[in-house]
Amino acid sequence: MSEEYISVTCRTKMKRISEDYQSRLPDNTALKQQQLPAYRLQLSATGVLSGFFAAGAFCLGMGIILILSAKSIKEIEVKYTKICANCAELREDATNFDKECTCSIPFYLSETMKGNVYMYYKLYGFYQNLYQYILSRSNSQLLGTDLKDVGNCAPFSNSHDGTPIAPCGAIANSIFNDTIILSYNLNSSIPIEVPMLRSKITWWTDKYVKFQNPSSINLSSAFAGTTKPPYWSKPVYELDEEDPGNNGFLNEDFIVWMRTAAFPTFKKLYRRLNRIQYFIEGLPAGNYSFNITYNFPVTRFKGEKSVVLSTLTWSGGSSLFLGLAYTVTGAVTWLASFSMMAIHLMLKKKKMLFIQD
Amino acid sequence: MSVPTQSLWGWGEWGCGNYEGTGTAPPMQGGSGGLGCVISGEVDLADEGLGLGRPADFSVGCQKVEENMGWQKSLQGSEVSKARTIYLNEPLKNNFCKNSISTAKYNMWSFLPRYLYLQFSKAANAFFLFITILQQIPDVSPTGKYTTLLPLMIILTISGIKEIVEDYKRHIADKLVNTKDIIVLRENVWKIIMWKEVIVGDIVKASNGQFLPADMVLISSSEPQVTCYVATSNLDGETNLKLRQALLETAQMQTERQLSSLSGKIECEGPNRHFNTFIGTLYLNDESPVPIGPDQVLLRGTQLKNTQWVLGIVVYTGFETKFMQNSIKSPLKKSRVEKVINVQILVLFVLLLAMSLVSCLGAILWNVEGTWYFGTNDYSSHSLGFDLLVFIILYHNLIPISLLVTLEIVKYVQAMFINWDEDMHYKENNIYAIARTSNLNEELGQVKYLFSDKTGTLTCNIMKFKKCSIAGIIYGLSPSVLTESYEFNDPTLLQNFENGHPTKDYIKEFLTLLCVCHTVVPERDEDKIIYQASSPDEAALVKWVKKLGFVFTTRTPTSVTIEAMGENLTFEILNILEFSSNRKRMSVIVRTPTGNLRLYCKGADTVIYERLSEDSLFMKETLTHLEHFAKGGLRTLCVAYTDLTEAEYQQWLTEYKKASSVIQDRMQSLEECYDKIEKKFLLLGATAIEDRLQARVPETIATLLKANIRIWVLTGDKQETAINIAYSCKLISAQMPRIQLNTNSLEATQQAVTQNCEALGTLIGKENDLALIIDGETLKYALNFEVERSFLNLALSCRAVLCCRLSPLQKAEIVYLVKKHVGAITLAIGDGANDVGMIQMAHVGVGISGNEGMQATNNSDYSIAQFSYLEKLLLVHGAWNYFRVTKCILYCFYKNVVLYIIELWFAFVNGFSGQIIFEHWCISLYNVIFTSLPPFTLGIFEQCCSQKSLLTYPQLYTVSQTGKTFNTKVFWFQCINALVHSFILFWMPMKMLEHDMVLQGGHTTDYLFLGNFIYTYVVVTVCLKAGLDTLSWTKFSHLAIWGSIIIWLVFFAIYSFVWPTIPVAPEMTGQVNMILVCPYFWLGFLIVPIVCLILNLIWKSIKNTCNRTLLEEVREMESNRVQELNPTMFKMRVEAKNVQMSLPSQPQKIVFRHESFDQSTPYGYAFSQVEQAVITQEELICSYDTTKSQGCVRA
Repeated sequence: MSEEYISVTCRTKMKRISEDYQSRLPDNTALKQQQLPAYRLQLSATGVLSGFFAAGAFCLGMGIILILSAKSIKEIEVKYTKICANCAELREDATNFDKECTCSIPFYLSETMKGNVYMYYKLYGFYQNLYQYILSRSNSQLLGTDLKDVGNCAPFSNSHDGTPIAPCGAIANSIFNDTIILSYNLNSSIPIEVPMLRSKITWWTDKYVKFQNPSSINLSSAFAGTTKPPYWSKPVYELDEEDPGNNGFLNEDFIVWMRTAAFPTFKKLYRRLNRIQYFIEGLPAGNYSFNITYNFPVTRFKGEKSVVLSTLTWSGGSSLFLGLAYTVTGAVTWLASFSMMAIHLMLKKKKMLFIQD
Repeated sequence: MSVPTQSLWGWGEWGCGNYEGTGTAPPMQGGSGGLGCVISGEVDLADEGLGLGRPADFSVGCQKVEENMGWQKSLQGSEVSKARTIYLNEPLKNNFCKNSISTAKYNMWSFLPRYLYLQFSKAANAFFLFITILQQIPDVSPTGKYTTLLPLMIILTISGIKEIVEDYKRHIADKLVNTKDIIVLRENVWKIIMWKEVIVGDIVKASNGQFLPADMVLISSSEPQVTCYVATSNLDGETNLKLRQALLETAQMQTERQLSSLSGKIECEGPNRHFNTFIGTLYLNDESPVPIGPDQVLLRGTQLKNTQWVLGIVVYTGFETKFMQNSIKSPLKKSRVEKVINVQILVLFVLLLAMSLVSCLGAILWNVEGTWYFGTNDYSSHSLGFDLLVFIILYHNLIPISLLVTLEIVKYVQAMFINWDEDMHYKENNIYAIARTSNLNEELGQVKYLFSDKTGTLTCNIMKFKKCSIAGIIYGLSPSVLTESYEFNDPTLLQNFENGHPTKDYIKEFLTLLCVCHTVVPERDEDKIIYQASSPDEAALVKWVKKLGFVFTTRTPTSVTIEAMGENLTFEILNILEFSSNRKRMSVIVRTPTGNLRLYCKGADTVIYERLSEDSLFMKETLTHLEHFAKGGLRTLCVAYTDLTEAEYQQWLTEYKKASSVIQDRMQSLEECYDKIEKKFLLLGATAIEDRLQARVPETIATLLKANIRIWVLTGDKQETAINIAYSCKLISAQMPRIQLNTNSLEATQQAVTQNCEALGTLIGKENDLALIIDGETLKYALNFEVERSFLNLALSCRAVLCCRLSPLQKAEIVYLVKKHVGAITLAIGDGANDVGMIQMAHVGVGISGNEGMQATNNSDYSIAQFSYLEKLLLVHGAWNYFRVTKCILYCFYKNVVLYIIELWFAFVNGFSGQIIFEHWCISLYNVIFTSLPPFTLGIFEQCCSQKSLLTYPQLYTVSQTGKTFNTKVFWFQCINALVHSFILFWMPMKMLEHDMVLQGGHTTDYLFLGNFIYTYVVVTVCLKAGLDTLSWTKFSHLAIWGSIIIWLVFFAIYSFVWPTIPVAPEMTGQVNMILVCPYFWLGFLIVPIVCLILNLIWKSIKNTCNRTLLEEVREMESNRVQELNPTMFKMRVEAKNVQMSLPSQPQKIVFRHESFDQSTPYGYAFSQVEQAVITQEELICSYDTTKSQGCVRA
C-alpha cells in the first residue's frame, strides 16, 4: 500500500475534475450573453400619433360601412304572448296540455323584404344557459349509438316506469313546440300560405356529425325500448309528419333547439322562405298574418315569445352595435390623438424654451 | 420545527466538490431548495425568527442572531448528545454513525412521498389539490372532473423533473466523496478502503496533501516532535497552516504490530460544531489516563500539509464530524417580491371567496319561479354550501396555477444567465459567477445597503512593495502609468547603492533591516525559496529586498542568515519584540556578524518618530514622503535602528525575563518592558506598501454610490488598515470629515453618539458627506438597546461607514440591525469564513470565490470572483431580473383575472347558475398552453434598456431599488386594468351576438359560440398586452406572442373535430366551421383587442409625454441612437432629467467641527499581523529550523 498509489489516484481525480470544469465553459453566444438582437419598443410621438390616426380612420370607415349595411336590413318582430293572451292563460295550467289553442296575428309589411327571408322565433326570459339545464342532455344518446345512455339527463332521464327517455334531458324535454305559419293576403280575401323551408336550418356538423338516428329498418323500431319526453305530445320519430327524413334525432327543429343559447333572450331559426312564385324576390309588401298554434308556455316564467322575419346582409343581421362600436372607437381614437398631439406640441415648445434658457 | 423536517433540506446544498476544495460547485446546485419552495410555508424559519427578534439586551441579541442563522436549531439533536466512549481495536463495541454522507434530498423510495409532501405544503399547490378533489364530487364542478388535475400534474411533473435532475447531481457528488480512498488498519494490516467504510475507532493513515475522511485523534506522525500541519481553510477560511501535536504517550506507536496491540479506550464529548474545542481522555491499559485537547484533533475536511504521514484514531464520522455539523445550509431566503406575491395570492383568494359569495347571493336573489323547463317548478337553488363550492370551482383559476412554476423556470434561466456571463468570468482562475440560489435574482435589483468585507473582497490580499524613502531620498516614483499595478521598479536605488552614493550605507542598513526584522519563515523548495508569513506586509518587504539582492535564506531558532549581495551574513536573533496593535511596531535585537548588538525596529510613523534620537537625520524629508505615500493610499512603515551596548542589553534582559514570567497581565508588562529598550532610534527611512485592491474596485464603488447604494465596510482588520483601504478605494476622500467612535464603555459610547447626533442636527437622516468609523469594542456598546437607535440614525446619516475589528457575529449583527430597522434590501459580500454570518444574515449574500476557503462561497447566494463584478451583478442582472420577474408576475395575475372574471360577468346573464362560458379543457389549458409562453419571454428576455445604458447611468438602478414597478398600488392597478379588459371582452362580444343573426344562412348560435368568440379575443388581447409590456422584442417574443395566438387557433380547429371519435368536447363540434366564416368574428377580432389595449396605449403615451422617467428618457435615446450622433446633448438631457428627478440628494456640506471629527490628512500606517494567537510569534518562529529538511513534499 504505497503512498505512490494514493497520489496517483489523487492526481487522476484532480484531472477528472478539471475536465468537468472545462466542459462547463459556456460558449459565447448572443443568447447566453443576453445580447440577442432586439427591437426596442419605443412609443415615439410620431409613431403613436400616426398609428392612432390610421386606426381611427380605419375604425370610422369600417363603422360607417357596418352601420349602412345594417340599416339596409328589413326586420319585423311580432310579439304574440299578449296578443294571444287567452292561449297564454290556457298554457299556464299544465293540465290543459291536450287542449289546442290557435291564434292569428295579422300585420302589414310596408316594404318588400328582398332576398332571402328567415323566420325566427324569439324567447324572452328563457334561461337556456342554466348550468343544470345545459348539463341535462346525453350527447352519446344523440349520436344514436347508445340510446340507453341517459347518464346526465336528470331529472328527465327515465320515465316513471324506468324506461329511458329518448331524447332525454331537460333541454330536449322543453323543446319549442309552437307551430307558426305565415300567410300572405294577396287579394285581401284568400290568404295563401307563404312557402317555407324547414331544411338547412341547422349547422352542418350538427346534422351530419353530432346527431344521428339509431340504425334500424324504420325509426319507430329504432326507438323501441325508449319513451318520449314527458312534455312531448308525439314521440321523437313522429316529429315531422310531412317529411319522414326529418324525424328522430335528425329533426332540424329539434337540432336547432338543442344548441343552447347564450342569453336568456334568444332567437332560433325556424323557417326559411322558399323563393318560389310570388316570393321569388323575397316577401312582397302587403298584408300578412301569422297563424300560430300556441303550445309553448312562457308566462309561467314571466317570459314572452315573438316571431321575427328578417333578411340578412354580408355581415349578418340588423344589429347596429358593431357599426357603432367601430365608429365610436374611431372617434375616440381621433379625439385622443388630437389631444395627445396638442399636449405633445405644447411640451415640445416648453422644452425648446427650456433648452434655449 | 422538528429535527426530521429540517433534515429534509438541511443538507440539501452540499456537493462534494465544494467542501473538499478541489473544484467549484456544479452550477445551480443550490437552485432546487430555493426553486422548490417558492411559497412553502416550511421555509419561513428565518423570517419567523426575525419577526420574533426584539431588541432586548446585547447578549440576547447575539443569541437571536445566531438563532436566526439557523445555527442552533439545526443542532438540537447533537448538542444534547452525551459523551462517547471509543474502544481501541474493538470495532464491534463502537457503534456510531456511518462515515458515508448523503447531501441528497431524496432516494429512490422516498422521492414520491417526500416530493409530494413538499409540493403540497405550498399553499397554492394545496389549494389546487383541494379544487381537484372538489371536482370529483358529482355535479359540483362546472368545469369537468379532471381539468385542474391535468395542469396540476403537468406543473408537478415539471418541477419534479427538475428536482430529480438536481438531486441526481448531488448523488453523484456524494458518491465521489464517499468513494475516496484512505488507508486504514484492518485485521492488523494496512488496507485501502473507501471513505464511507471508515468507522469510529479505525486507525487511519493519511499522507501529505490528503484530505482527512473523519475527525480523529492524532496518535503519531512522521515529524520529529510528532507534529503535523493541517490546512483548515475549508473550515474556518484561515489560510495559515495549523500545527497539531500528538500526545507523547502515543508518539511511538507507528508499526502495525504496535497499533494492533493497542488496547484501551477514548472517552470524549459528543459531536458538536465547535472547531476549536475538544475534550477527551485517553485510557491506555496499564497507564494513567491522558487528557486530549483540540491540539490533538484532526478534522474532516482539513488537508494534511508539510507532513509525510500521520496516524489517527477516528472519533467522529459522517454527519457527526465537526465539519458536517457546521455545514448547515444557510436558511432559505425569500425575496421581498416573493413575499408580496404570497400576500397577493391571499388577496386573490379572498377575492375569490367574495366573488363566490356574491354569486351565491345572486343565485338566491335570482331565484325566478316558473322554470318548468328545468323539471321543477322553480329553479330551486341547492344549499348555499353546494353553490359556494360550485362557484369556488368556477372561479378558482383566478389564482394563477402556473405562476409558481413559471417563476421557477424563469428564475432558473435567469440564474443560468448569471452563470454564463462572460463579463463576470475571471479569466485568471477561470472562475465564473455562480448563482447558488435563484430565488433572489430580483432582490439583486433592489439592494440599498451593501456590506462589504475588506480583505480578499475589496483587496486581493496581496501586498506589493511600491515605494520607499531612504535617507531622505524617495525611490519608486516611476512616472510610468503603465506600471501602476506593478511592483517597485526603480533602478536608481541600486545604482545609488552600487555607485557609492553618499547614502549608500543607509541603503545597506535599510535593506538589511528589512531582511532581518520580521517573523517570516523561509521554506526551501528545491532551489526556490518560499516565504511563509503570517503577515502579508512582511512577506512583501522580504520579497522585495530579495529582488534587490538581499536574500533571506535561513532561519534557525537562534539566528537568521541572509545573503547580502552574494555575501552570507548570519545575525544572531536575541529577542523578538512582538508586534501588537497597541505598540504599532515590532523590533528584533540581533547580534550582527561583526558582533555588535543592534535593535531593528519597524512601525507606525507616530510611534517611531516619538522614539527618534536627536541625532536622527532626514526626519523632515521622510515625513513629507510619508504624507505623500499616505495620500496615495499606501500603507507606510517607518524603519529605524539603534545600537545597544552590552551592559544596556544585559540590564534590559533581566527586566525582560522578569516581565515574561509575570502571570497577570503579562502582555502589558512585556509591552512596558519592550518600551524601555525601544528608544533613541536612528531613522533610516520609510516603506510604502500597496495593499492591492482588486481590479476596478474604486470605479465599482463610485458606480455603486451613484446607484444610490450605501456601502458599509465591515472588517475584522484594524482601524488604520480599514481607513487606509477606504481611502485607496475612494470610499472616503481626504476632505471628507470623519466621525471616529472609539470608546470603551457604554456611557462614553452613548455620549459620543448623542453628541454627534446633536452636532448633525437637522442633517440627521439625510445623506451627509461624512464617514463614520467605529471599532468592534465601541460597537458592542453601540448595539446596546439604549444606544442602538441613535447609533443607527447616525450611521445612516453618513455616506460611508467603516466598522473595524469586528467579530464575525458582530458583522452579522450590524446587518441584522439595518435589516430590521431600515426595511431596505441588504447585501453582504465577503470571502472568508468570518463573513459567513453576515452573508447568511443579509437579504442577499455574495461570496467572493477564489483563493481562500470555500466557506463563504458555500454559504452565499451568489458567488463571484471579483468585487467589481458586483457592478454587473447588481446594475445589470439585478435590474433586469427585477423588471423581468415583476413583469412576469403582474402579467400572470393579469391574464388570469382577465379570463376568469368573465365567468362572473357571464353569471349575470345566466342567473348565477354556475354555468361556464368556455369549454372545460380550453379553460384549463389556458395557463398551461395558450398563454404560457408570453410570461416566459417577459421573464427571460425582457430588457428595460441595454446593458450599456444601465452601466453608464447607474441612477437607473433606483427604479428597481425603490420597487416602483411592483407594489400594492401597481398590483391593484393591474387588477383593475384586467377587470376593465375582462368587462370589455365580455360585454362587446355579448352585444355583438345578442342579435343572434350573425351567420350566413341565418343559423343561430349557442353559448359556446359566444364563449369561443370571447376566448379567442382574450387570447389575442392577452398576448398583445404582453407585446405592449415587452420593451425589447427578440425573436422569442415574436414566437411567443404570435405563436400563442396561432397555437390557440390551430387547437381550436382540431378540437372542433374530435367528437365523437374521441369522446371529449361534444359541444365544441363544428364550432370552428361556423366561427371562422362568421364575419362578426373577424370584425370583432379587429376591434375588441384594440378597444382593450387602446386604453393602455393612451395611458402609456400620456405618461410617456407628460411624466417621463429617466428610464424612458434613456430608452428613447437608445432607440433614436442619439448617443452616437450627439453624445453631449444626450448627456445634458439625462443630467437635466436627473436634477428634476430629485434623485439622491447631493451630499450636504458639513460646516461644523467637533472633537471626534477628524479632518486631518490621511494617515498611512497599516500593518497586518496575527495578534494574540495561541502561540506567540516568537515561539512560532523559534520552532522553525529551515536548515533541517522535513523531507516533505509540498502539496
